[in-house]
Amino acid sequence: MQCRELDVFFEQEGLAPLSAAARQHLSECYACKHFFDDVTGIVALAHQLPAEVDPPEHIWISIRTELIREGTILGFSSERESAPWWHSFAELFRSRTWATAAVAMVIIVVAFMLGSKPREESLQVQEDPYSSTVTALSQQEHDLANMQLASTGEASAVDASLRQNLQQVNEFIADCERRVREVPFDELAREYLTNAYQQKAQLLSAMMDRGGSLN
Amino acid sequence: MSEADAIRLAQAGDAAAFEFLYRLHGRRVYALCLRMVGNPSDAEDLMQEAFLQLFRKIGTFRGESAFSTWLHRMTVNVVLMRLRKKTLPVASLEETTEPDEETGGPRKDIGAPDLLLTGAVDRVNLERSIEKLPPGYRTVFVLHDVQGYEHNEIADIMGCSVGNSKSQLHKARTRLRDLLQEEVREQARNERQIAKTQTGQAD
Repeated sequence: MQCRELDVFFEQEGLAPLSAAARQHLSECYACKHFFDDVTGIVALAHQLPAEVDPPEHIWISIRTELIREGTILGFSSERESAPWWHSFAELFRSRTWATAAVAMVIIVVAFMLGSKPREESLQVQEDPYSSTVTALSQQEHDLANMQLASTGEASAVDASLRQNLQQVNEFIADCERRVREVPFDELAREYLTNAYQQKAQLLSAMMDRGGSLN
Repeated sequence: MSEADAIRLAQAGDAAAFEFLYRLHGRRVYALCLRMVGNPSDAEDLMQEAFLQLFRKIGTFRGESAFSTWLHRMTVNVVLMRLRKKTLPVASLEETTEPDEETGGPRKDIGAPDLLLTGAVDRVNLERSIEKLPPGYRTVFVLHDVQGYEHNEIADIMGCSVGNSKSQLHKARTRLRDLLQEEVREQARNERQIAKTQTGQAD
């Protein structure tokens, strides 16, 4: 077997199993042996690369939103109409990522709200425990709007979905805020409001990260 | 829920079935997109596009091929389409780097002395070199050597013959070796340069 024939053998049969003639040639040809060792090493290294990578959660949310919008996923709107007001939002937190983040946020806010004082007193002293969060989010949203104004490129499908999701979350926040104003001790409304702020923060962060791709 | 049940339910528009299929295959599809385009933002766009196409057409899936093959075919098409739009002139699946019989092209190295790569490259070098491969080579290499598909499956995904898949893989590996050798030489040059600078500063 010659070098060229070995090359054809590798192309047609791969690196293993080697024929007797191929093994014989490799034992005699230094260069082919090196080629074989190099390529075998490359393949072994490639096998160590992860064949699966966790995609960011917002991709599924975007896909799902789009499929619902275009009617590929059926029966969603009627379910939503008959479901309690918080069900559609609760759907967003079904995934582990959102749920973990949301729980962490709830813990922080609950700890903040409870403090060492009785709850009612605490609420009277601090009329709006969310004010700093709202300010920070508004600032972030303002920065993002400036970034988008500065961008000249067309937004991608993911960017469009993120904006759509942000709009939905903003609408939901408005509902929750109204509910909390009307019934200040509605724990469920407060919890959803906290989650909504958390999701808004994550969405804004994702949109900021993608800012470069808009240009 | 089995994959077959999920496909049937998704064909009827069931939301949970779509999510099941997404969760089942999303990680592999995202890894493929990421490795093909090299940056998360583009990979996210492509993954979303591939899944949307898949779910819109799920009603036409009759099970002639495996669902994952169908999904990967769609993903590869979406990715290659995007790469063709981005890089002009168009890169063909039959690469422009077909070895020249006269000069040997990548094949000439088979009988030539070269660097011994074993132990000199790591996963980072490899990832970087994979990104430099032409799209067709990159697709076959990632599908076969990273994701573990067989040549008959790759042929199905890429719409080519098994022989073509084998040939593309061999060329991809050979090209990758060249790229890695280049990288190793470059690293060695840089190290020599740094050592030289440090020696100069010490004097």
